[in-house]
Amino acid sequence: MNASNPIPTDYETFREGVRAFLKDALSPELVRAGERTTSVFSDFEAGRKWQSILHAKGWGAPEWPIEHGGTGWDIQQRYIFLEECKLANAPNPVMMGIQMLGPMLIHFGTEAQKQQFLPGIISGDDVWCQGYSEPGSGSDLASLKTTAERDGDEYVVNGTKIWTSMAHHSNWIFCLVRTDKEVKPQAGISFLLIDMATPGITVAPFPSLDGEVEQCQVFFENVRVPVTNLLGEENQGWTVAKYLLEFERGGQHFTIELKKQLSKLHRLMTSETNRAKDDPTYAYRVAETEIDVMALEQTELRIKGSLSAGDNPGALSSLVKVSGTELGQRCAELLIEAAGQSAIPWQSEVLSPEYTGETAAPAECVTTMAEYINSRATTIYGGTAEIQRGIIAKHVLGL
Amino acid sequence: MAAQMTEDQTLLKDAAERYLRDSYDFNERRERIAAGHYSDPTQWQAFADMGWLALPIDEDLGGLGLGAREMAILAELCGQFLVTEPLIEAMAVSHAILGNSAQKESLLVQVAEGTLIPVAAIDEAGEAARLSPTTQLTEDSGQWRLTGSKQWISAGASATHLAVLANSATGLAWVLVSVDAEGVSREIYPTHDGRGGASFKFDVTLDNAQIIATGEIAQDALTAYRELAMVLSSAETLGATQAALDTTVDYTKQRIQFGQPLASFQALQHRMSNMLIQTELTRSLVYAACDAADDGHADRGRFARAAKVKAATVGRKVSQEAIQLHGGIATTDEYIVGHFFKRITALESWVCSKGEALKEFMALPAAQH
Repeated sequence: MNASNPIPTDYETFREGVRAFLKDALSPELVRAGERTTSVFSDFEAGRKWQSILHAKGWGAPEWPIEHGGTGWDIQQRYIFLEECKLANAPNPVMMGIQMLGPMLIHFGTEAQKQQFLPGIISGDDVWCQGYSEPGSGSDLASLKTTAERDGDEYVVNGTKIWTSMAHHSNWIFCLVRTDKEVKPQAGISFLLIDMATPGITVAPFPSLDGEVEQCQVFFENVRVPVTNLLGEENQGWTVAKYLLEFERGGQHFTIELKKQLSKLHRLMTSETNRAKDDPTYAYRVAETEIDVMALEQTELRIKGSLSAGDNPGALSSLVKVSGTELGQRCAELLIEAAGQSAIPWQSEVLSPEYTGETAAPAECVTTMAEYINSRATTIYGGTAEIQRGIIAKHVLGL
Repeated sequence: MAAQMTEDQTLLKDAAERYLRDSYDFNERRERIAAGHYSDPTQWQAFADMGWLALPIDEDLGGLGLGAREMAILAELCGQFLVTEPLIEAMAVSHAILGNSAQKESLLVQVAEGTLIPVAAIDEAGEAARLSPTTQLTEDSGQWRLTGSKQWISAGASATHLAVLANSATGLAWVLVSVDAEGVSREIYPTHDGRGGASFKFDVTLDNAQIIATGEIAQDALTAYRELAMVLSSAETLGATQAALDTTVDYTKQRIQFGQPLASFQALQHRMSNMLIQTELTRSLVYAACDAADDGHADRGRFARAAKVKAATVGRKVSQEAIQLHGGIATTDEYIVGHFFKRITALESWVCSKGEALKEFMALPAAQH
């Protein structure tokens, strides 16, 4: 629903084209992987396969500049593409390379680095993970302690990274490392691209609350990295990372997913498995959530409009991140209420796209509990809700 | 975040804001209301001279033919400057109701000139459903008659005319009566938002010309009036909400406690961030409701009700927080922030409550796209 900017007809033609492609290109297994996605990550192999299909079509990285494989779509077309992918239950490819590192390489990288890394990212042949957080450095990222000491034409890296999503599937990692301990914390950080096959790297995956393994701790012991793998200047890593964080926050369209959750809620409310049907407050709470989603959607459209006009939304991406994630949590809570006890069975194999057997929970509740559990992480990663509120206080309110 | 406005809308907003900043002083307003003058005739004349009263009237009826988005610009400023004159009431009535009258040309000219100040009278005492009034329009051998009463009419003290919702043999009817007409009695009371309310009793004989609409046209006019009034009340709430937030941010930067500004405390910073987030979300929805109304969007009724629910919820929360973050000063009559709080509270139940809007929202299915 888009009251303020009615979509001209040629966007509808574009949408038809995207829809036709998706109908053709998405196998039942890929759709199942999309349906049974319970966090930002789908089944790894399905996501990778989908990326190779998108790449073959020329749609591997729509947001990148055309000369590096982008599509040249405008903001509205990119939004339509994302929306149709979501509606068609396409799986999510691992996006750290395309969404995060890609824009960074294009902005800060040397010609040689762009030629070396961008093709592997867009094809999905290289899988990248993000090495930022450390056991002692979460919200206070600039306090990170993993060191890189120069030794001839190499850096020698020692330390550990945590919350490194998908590290166990990755062959490359982009890392923030400390190259100067004598200056103020932000000024002594550099940005390194590290081959995961380098001797001295150990990956330790660990299960999350939902029982699935997405997160890892990565250990570095005398890992030798060529200096040519430094992105940006030495000790400019914080500047590079800040650019990346803006992409992580601003590049998300929460209402596409939220509207999908709302239609799921409406379906569940009218199904016989609805465990909330005797709760007189339930329908009102769903309606209030729906209104809040409408407000967020209109806010995303306002930001999109100001981006089209060439403005930088800056700290307003924090507003969208806080609202989008907290609304997602509310939807997940409502879904868990409607599912009731039927969401409690834990059947891990169901999440595999190959699985076509019986499910312990009713079909519409298979992923409900995992989605609810994983929704708690959304206000923690990518800058906690508290960090975002701090950014708004400082940069919007001037406090 | 800038709201996207056309050049004309920006000009309207800038001129109106400049006028109110220069000419609508908060302390003069307080003294005027304390003296029992709920609206200022020179202000109303200025509104007319600036074209605000002609703004919602069709061009072929001598108005400016502008829409909900422009009305909302003025409504927001009414909230920000605590305007007590019945501008949103008059805009909603002239846009949604009076255009149905056979006498619309002459009526709307008087509205635009500022001589006819119309306010809708819908609510009644007693158990009658709000939209099914007991006030009766009856006919006896060619003579029309209005009997009944209306209660708690916001800005009823400032109206020259009432658009009265009545029941008749053919269903709902809208009737225009002068507050000074024989057979109309008005009881004015002071209000917490400074607007001055009134209750009315009617036992009036009418000219045919006073019957604005009956039957289906009257029902459609009621729907149009309510939806526009929901949007404008949301816009005025938004303006007052933003003003309450701005006042709070300014104050906490100045106020020193424990040797530092209140604004330096993280517990307060995050609460003000929440106030900003919710106010901006509300703004998006209010403007979208305006655009939906102006475009004749299939979901305009849903948007109007969604805006009402969101603005009422956020206005209440933000204005309560504004008082808390100020501390004691905000509980005094001489400080402005409590007046935003009171106006927002009065608007919460104007036209309909948040709960009624939510219930109506749920009954309206979304159009397919």
